Amino acid sequence: MGNSVLEEKGFIIDLSNTVTSEQLVSELGSILELPEIKNKAVCLKLGNIDLKQSQLLSIKALIESMESTIQSVVTSSNVTKLSAESLNLETSEFTAPAKIIKEEPKAEVTETQEQIKTDFLEENQLQPNTVIENEVTGQLEEISEIIPMTESSFQNLAKKEGLIDEASMKYVPLDTQDVIEDEIEEKSDSTDKMPTLYMTQTLRSGQTLNYNGNVIIIGDAHPGSEIIANGDITVWGVLGGIVHAGANGNTNAKIRALKFNAIQIRIAGLYARRNDTINVPFVQKTSEFTPEEARIDNKQIIIYKTIRRD
Amino acid sequence: MTGRVIVITSGKGGVGKTTTSANIGTALAKAGNKVVLIDTDIGLRNLDLLLGLENRIVYTIVDVVEERCKLKQALVKDKKNPNLALLAAAQTRDKSAVTQDQLKEICEELKKKYDFILLDCPAGIEQGFQNAVAGATEAIVVTTPEMSAVRDADRIIGLLEAKEEIESYKLLLNRVRPNLIKENDMMSVEDVVEILSCKLIGIIPEDTGIITSTNKGEPIVNVEKSLAGQAYRNVAQRIMGEDVPFLELDKQENPIIAKIKDIFAKLKGKV
Repeated sequence: MGNSVLEEKGFIIDLSNTVTSEQLVSELGSILELPEIKNKAVCLKLGNIDLKQSQLLSIKALIESMESTIQSVVTSSNVTKLSAESLNLETSEFTAPAKIIKEEPKAEVTETQEQIKTDFLEENQLQPNTVIENEVTGQLEEISEIIPMTESSFQNLAKKEGLIDEASMKYVPLDTQDVIEDEIEEKSDSTDKMPTLYMTQTLRSGQTLNYNGNVIIIGDAHPGSEIIANGDITVWGVLGGIVHAGANGNTNAKIRALKFNAIQIRIAGLYARRNDTINVPFVQKTSEFTPEEARIDNKQIIIYKTIRRD
Repeated sequence: MTGRVIVITSGKGGVGKTTTSANIGTALAKAGNKVVLIDTDIGLRNLDLLLGLENRIVYTIVDVVEERCKLKQALVKDKKNPNLALLAAAQTRDKSAVTQDQLKEICEELKKKYDFILLDCPAGIEQGFQNAVAGATEAIVVTTPEMSAVRDADRIIGLLEAKEEIESYKLLLNRVRPNLIKENDMMSVEDVVEILSCKLIGIIPEDTGIITSTNKGEPIVNVEKSLAGQAYRNVAQRIMGEDVPFLELDKQENPIIAKIKDIFAKLKGKV
């Protein structure tokens, strides 16, 4: 998996762990889908892969199509270096570190960054800025880049999967501790084999739909409507009401909609409410539709959004 | 402790019952009282929207009545004020889901723990109204200075007088526009009071800020500078038994603008 680090002025695309050119292109493709890559000066880290001038040229064109420019190319391959030089790109040598120490992946990070850093340095008798190899990602990075782990794991996960999550953090868990007394028994059933209700109608305020299975609605679900299903809920339109998927405790159930505006989403025994800071426009333009999916990850309801490709 | 149960009603729709309920409730809670707002407009609930609590509702009054949850579980705490709670109406049912006795029972239970229980009444004089009034001992009749609203208020006052449980009722005149009254295009406050022969508890000026506050889910009493907000805060103080003079609405015009208008008027006369 390639990695990208957002710097203040530019963007480092680290592809040093890719071996084949196909791998490189697919990695690069998924990184370039990130919206923050626009208008950036890009530093391309390329490991020891050999790239011909034409190959590098196409990568350059790809990055330039994102309105960004390649500022420099870091490579240990002489072929790539020559290609880069022929394209008038700044190059620098990728030198293997003198000391390679394998880092054991840490399960939980509870201490402060600074503490971890000093502990780590003492433990391995290292000096700051020593380059180490991270076993998890196989990347070569400076120690200061590996250790900070301030983001929660799901955000990292979402980033790695090429899904933007900061933008879709529009739901927050609803504290139902004092409200719901007896929790429903959790189970994880596949929703594939469940019966499905297919409806081509818009659900208006006050209308409810209760179904023991999956629900597909071709139309909108207006605010004030309610859909409760034991399986998945899919709304081919704007979802504005309250939805409860996997109402019988199925944590495998998912909710999908072309536009998620629901005031509350419930999956199995988990509740999430729309963040108060989100301003929902009075009228939703269809051009702003991006299909979204809500599912349970790490005992939390998370909305996943696919990236628009236009 | 025995709380006071006050119903906010009007007969006519759209005069500002829900806005009044949300604002008086918030103002009373801000003044340190423990307040519950009950939305009795089952099927057409709005109070949760005005308070910005729509996304926090899990159980509604219908769930309480049908014993799917306890009353305590259905009370939604306000975002800012821990003294304020909302008992929301169900959106997917109708007025027949709750009976008068059930509402009375809920009010009796809430009285033990809260200083004020405010019932937001639906428009009309049918079951919804009868339900809301059943639990209350006091009433605030909301009206606007329009003939139709005043007629409906008159009808409501007649119904309230016939109810033994209602010990007192007061009038709240909403959406008053002093400049229209000045031009004699709108009934004055005195006119309305005279027609209805009812004691006033507040005069609320028309305020465009109300529209923004409704859409944002933030009661206007939280906006310090708003005139309508001030008027609602005064109503809350009067409910608490304080003697607060009514706002002098015609004086609110900026004196400089008034002067300029005056000069223009004089110039017009000369030409």
